[in-house]
Amino acid sequence: MHIKTILRILGSLLMLLAVIMAGCAAVALFFGGTDFFAFLASALITVLLGLWLLYFGKGGEKQYSRRDSYLTITLSWMLFALVGTLPFLISGLITNFTDAFFESMSGFTTTGCTVIGDTEAIPRATLLWRCMSQWLGGLGIVFFTVAVLPMFGFSGVQLFAAEATGYAKMKANPRVAVSARWILTVYVSLTILCTIALWLCGMHPFEAICHSLTTISTGGFSTRNESIASFHSIPMEWVLVLFMFVGGINYTLIYLAVVKGKVRDLLRSSEFHWYLFIVFIFTAIITGGLVHREDRDFITAVSDAIFMVVSTQTTTGFACTNYSTWPSWVWMILGFSMYFGAMGGSSSGAMKSSRIAIFAKSIAAEFRRILHPNAVLPVRMNGMVIPSSTRTTVLTFVCLYVLLVLFGWLLFIICGMDFPNAYGMSLCCLGNVGIIVPGTSCVGLPLTVKWVSCFLMLVGRLELYSVLLVLTPTFWREGNF
Amino acid sequence: MKIIIAGAGAVGTHLAKLLAGEQQDIVLIDESAEKLSKLESNFDLLTVEAKPTSLADLKSAGVNGADLFVAVTPDESRNVTACILAHSLGARKTVARIDNYEYLQPKNREFFRGLGVDALIYPEMLAAKEIADCLRKSWIRQWWEFAGGALVMMGVKVRAGCQMLGIPFMELKKDEPYHIVAIKRGSETIIPKGSDCVMENDLVFFMAARSSIEYIRRITGKAGYPKIKNVLIMGGSRIAVNAARLMHEEMTVKIIESDRARCEWLTELLPSDVMVIHGDGRDRELLLSEGIDSAQAFVALTDNAETNILTCVASRQFAPVKTVAEVENIDFISMAESLDIAGVINKKKLAASTIYQMLLDADVNNVKSLTFADADVAEFTVSEKARVTKCLVKDLDLPQGATIGGLVRGKEGMLVGGSTQILPGDHVVVFCLGSMIKKLEKYF
Repeated sequence: MHIKTILRILGSLLMLLAVIMAGCAAVALFFGGTDFFAFLASALITVLLGLWLLYFGKGGEKQYSRRDSYLTITLSWMLFALVGTLPFLISGLITNFTDAFFESMSGFTTTGCTVIGDTEAIPRATLLWRCMSQWLGGLGIVFFTVAVLPMFGFSGVQLFAAEATGYAKMKANPRVAVSARWILTVYVSLTILCTIALWLCGMHPFEAICHSLTTISTGGFSTRNESIASFHSIPMEWVLVLFMFVGGINYTLIYLAVVKGKVRDLLRSSEFHWYLFIVFIFTAIITGGLVHREDRDFITAVSDAIFMVVSTQTTTGFACTNYSTWPSWVWMILGFSMYFGAMGGSSSGAMKSSRIAIFAKSIAAEFRRILHPNAVLPVRMNGMVIPSSTRTTVLTFVCLYVLLVLFGWLLFIICGMDFPNAYGMSLCCLGNVGIIVPGTSCVGLPLTVKWVSCFLMLVGRLELYSVLLVLTPTFWREGNF
Repeated sequence: MKIIIAGAGAVGTHLAKLLAGEQQDIVLIDESAEKLSKLESNFDLLTVEAKPTSLADLKSAGVNGADLFVAVTPDESRNVTACILAHSLGARKTVARIDNYEYLQPKNREFFRGLGVDALIYPEMLAAKEIADCLRKSWIRQWWEFAGGALVMMGVKVRAGCQMLGIPFMELKKDEPYHIVAIKRGSETIIPKGSDCVMENDLVFFMAARSSIEYIRRITGKAGYPKIKNVLIMGGSRIAVNAARLMHEEMTVKIIESDRARCEWLTELLPSDVMVIHGDGRDRELLLSEGIDSAQAFVALTDNAETNILTCVASRQFAPVKTVAEVENIDFISMAESLDIAGVINKKKLAASTIYQMLLDADVNNVKSLTFADADVAEFTVSEKARVTKCLVKDLDLPQGATIGGLVRGKEGMLVGGSTQILPGDHVVVFCLGSMIKKLEKYF
């Protein structure tokens, strides 16, 4: 373990966070908000903390091991969530630490659950801060590799690998730092495009910025209490559907398609087909159900269904018009889409379509094996055979994911939640979705529930293995023995 | 003509033997003196112990001024390198053996020509095509297309249901839309005369226009012959991979391979609708559980000719399957044939005959040496003032053992009778015994 190196990285990450806090302070000054002092103080504290960590990390080794990368990732998210509580606590917007930590964790993991009862009442800079935290969290590892690791002379390969367990990583460039820089460019451009589109649909520019930050990052924080529903604008919903969907596409593929002109790579990707297919199936089922059982007219049913399906599947968690009146079977179906998630290498959470695809194909292969016991039945993605070791990793991931949902469900019930809400909460935290069963709010949940939620959000955001690995005793054994 | 063959492996040796009988100047190059010594004492050719990729060695072998340089070592990249070197040293035409489909694509032909490699041969692909052709037209044993398919020649095994058994040809109607160019009876190849007739178990070679194929199918009693839907291949060789790729869209293909690691390798290369079975193709239980009884064809492509022949024979006890066997041992070919194996695949022969075709004058664009009959089929383009244009076919006085099967004029295929007049520009298909093509060239 190279503690000094890890501290150095964490320290410089804090500096970056301080810059963003200072930015929020400037915004507060501009709008004349009451939270100017809070952001200024938070930025100062963060800088001091960062300097302190950098001081301790001085003279760190120029080495970086596999376990270091897992530990760095887990620690950095925890540290971000911790420091992220400062503006809330100092401004007095949230008085209790648990709530502030929950809000902050929900931001950096792009979940989007909130404990703030009246979002419309909080100052603008704080709104921006919440959205900014999701934007940073959504970019996740890519952001680290671009901004941080090259400063220390590390290639960043290990970190990239840490979040991308379970499926083949695509390399668009021989050097990770180069592709990461391009991915950052794609991310920023998408955010700007989304802002302009929302603005053109009639959203206030500030709110357009906030919403696009949380749309591209598939986070789901909104500036309004009733989320998107309060705008009552169909064009706005369609713009959001489009950008949430794009936010769920693998950024490397977007980069290849847009910058290198290889649109074919995207269109031929098996995972993309599965992503489209799953969105289509869920939309069709829910539309059918709404038209048939609820007597809705077709156009609004499609519009609502596709919005909610894309919102839950990309794990964004925006809510549209009158979703709360929908019957419970629709919620069960939306719950399934929360398991699935969008594409790997995007900002979305949950299992990801590639794992679902490999899982489904493995099931089909097992059925065929019963009839043909001697057959060698490969699972293919993009026409390439998936090695059986990868298959095992994926199957383990899927099982672990379901187990964790059940485990969370159980814990929430023990903490006193009722049956359906506990399930919804567990699913939406682990998948970083942030939309629970209608009528449920995170305001006033028991303390234990909030801490369990924070844990699930973190585990889900970092693709299960990274956090759970750090919790195993073997991880800490000296010298990887 | 001076021909240099680099690589005294199976293909090189076979080609050298074939050409040595044709009074050509053959130089065979190989690094191994042992391989060469056996050949030099038995055949009329020159062997040089040299490295095919060494400039000095190629020069001393006399590459400068060679009409053809053939590189058939087992290594693809060595072959290509040797061809490039030979071309730059002055060989007129170069041929390289490859094992990679990518190189064969038409768009890459110019690129390789630019490098100095005039032609590429891929024996595994040739064999796979042969298998696919054999299975696609299941009632036909052998199949050739001439002039882009306007005219076809096919070998059909005649059984009891055939309408023309025992009837001498002169008693058959004169305007039948086919021409029987040869009959293979036992081990004998007959160029038929009017008094001959078709007998049961003959392999009859018909020449016909494409439109009359169905008619021939009817009169030979093959109308009820099943179309091949399911194919079982034993042995996951490269031929198997190429054959499966060619056939998987029309037929359901299963490949049985006994080596586990090779199975994994196969799944990476094969399209997803081809199933790979891990097991021994000689295992009766395995064959039954994988549905040999509902297959219409069984293809044996292991390295071992004996295994291939025997499993093909054994597979027929489960179902009346059409069998194809890879027989690399040339001595076994006639035996396989006598055991009624429908397709006998020999990579060496296929490769050698493809190269042999390149040797013939540029006017000949299709020569194929038959595995079944000791005969050649050649397609000639008739030049201006050629001898055949001077008189009617019956007055031509063609050498014994040669017959003109048909011709293609413009885009139309037609049969040739005694009173046909051949015109310049026609493509004429000739069927002849032995290595007679050189003799026939003067007529065209």
